[in-house]
Amino acid sequence: MSVLVVGAGIAAVATATALRDGGYDRPITLVGDEPEEPYDRPPLTKAFLRGEPVARLRPAGWYDGQDVTVRTGTAVSLDPDAGRVALADGTVLAADTVVLATGARPITLPGALVVRTRAQAEELRSRLRPGARLLVVGGGLIGAETAASAHELGCAVTIADPDPLPLARAVGPQAAAFLAGQHAAAGVTVKAARLDTCADGRAQLTDGTELAADVILLGIGVRPETALAASAGLPVDDGVLVDARMRTAHPRVYAVGDVARIAGRRRVEHWDHAVRSAGVAARAILGRSPEPERAPWFWTDRYGRHLEMTGTYDPAAEAVERGSIADGDGTVFFVHDGRCVGAVAVDRSLDIKAAQRIIDRRVPVTAEFLADEGNSLRSLVRPR
Amino acid sequence: MTEVRVCAENELEDGQAVAVAPDATGWSDAIAVFRDGDAYYALDDTCPHEEASLAEGWVEDGEVECPLHQSRFDLGTGKVTCLPATRDACTHAVAVRDGAVWLSPGVPASS
Repeated sequence: MSVLVVGAGIAAVATATALRDGGYDRPITLVGDEPEEPYDRPPLTKAFLRGEPVARLRPAGWYDGQDVTVRTGTAVSLDPDAGRVALADGTVLAADTVVLATGARPITLPGALVVRTRAQAEELRSRLRPGARLLVVGGGLIGAETAASAHELGCAVTIADPDPLPLARAVGPQAAAFLAGQHAAAGVTVKAARLDTCADGRAQLTDGTELAADVILLGIGVRPETALAASAGLPVDDGVLVDARMRTAHPRVYAVGDVARIAGRRRVEHWDHAVRSAGVAARAILGRSPEPERAPWFWTDRYGRHLEMTGTYDPAAEAVERGSIADGDGTVFFVHDGRCVGAVAVDRSLDIKAAQRIIDRRVPVTAEFLADEGNSLRSLVRPR
Repeated sequence: MTEVRVCAENELEDGQAVAVAPDATGWSDAIAVFRDGDAYYALDDTCPHEEASLAEGWVEDGEVECPLHQSRFDLGTGKVTCLPATRDACTHAVAVRDGAVWLSPGVPASS
């Protein structure tokens, strides 16, 4: 028995970790196309741009200690029946189980930068000098975090996004309004427009604005890296289609992280999903029964403020506010039929930790209780 | 090593933690003292992953979850039990005596 993981990002490393933690003692190989030890991507738009070193996912020596082989190579074809993966350099790797953790690729345009890999972040960092004019196209997680970091570095930043409330469908209008307001408060210009054309350091926006930009960064989404799965004849539709245990249509092949989409659901691109889906796949590979799902969770950091979301935003749910999100210190709970289905908070991590458990354990809640800061959320989930 | 009085025995509620400043302990980092059930534990307060106070984390089932990014640490051993942190947290011995919680900075907890 052996496992070959195609990819070397968080989903790949989490797969290897979960397998070893689960007692798997056969060979594990990770093959990624970046020439370095696996690192954490979220800091690339934040701490890394501010000059900090890349964050290793595991300390030096961990892979040797865990008998996990990490090699560099670009996988070009997959033969599921044989469990074989061919690399661009002609090497053929074989394993009993193949886990696709190939991630996603940012949408690009000539003349613009993107940031997903360390190399891309290094190029961006080298160009974000004080006074540099940065145009960020797209005000979502990547765009807004990069804009905030660049602003902190002394760049003159403009964000173009046709949506006045980016992320509203993910976090609800209250938190989205807070996030959108941060840019203006910091002195970052926001244009309600798309990028029309860019060339030679000039950009034309769809609202007619023309501006000079030393750097143009695109944060307008990613495409899942499904080519390998598709070439092997596995079903692909905005991601490699998997069941709830991350199994593809072929019994030898799993998919985890950004590249995977559970049939009937939307594909998820968050860090936490990468880790959790890896854990789910590892349990399936080990022949263990699945654990209960936890409410999804993600965070974003910008302008020194920390936002977290757990569960899902449901427009039909009642929005119950504790504290004040608008003032940068509050939580909004989304309550439906006496149950919390989601929660979003600014600088209130403990509220989110409580909310995640309230959601997971289906604890009955009332708007009155949640809104009253005198009531302990912890008491709802720690009845001792 | 001198012991430092942290608080009275029942001053911390179950699941609560308090950070003891370096001034009071002579230790390089603040030290977070946790109560989980009837047991007390102490770890370096700064999460080994990123700048965050573990004393503000979620305490449950013998673990603390970092407030920022959900790294989890075993309260008794300091070992990382959940990514993204990769380095274990440093433990310190805690004792309950004469109705008070006492911390021994720099003395590893005996697990």
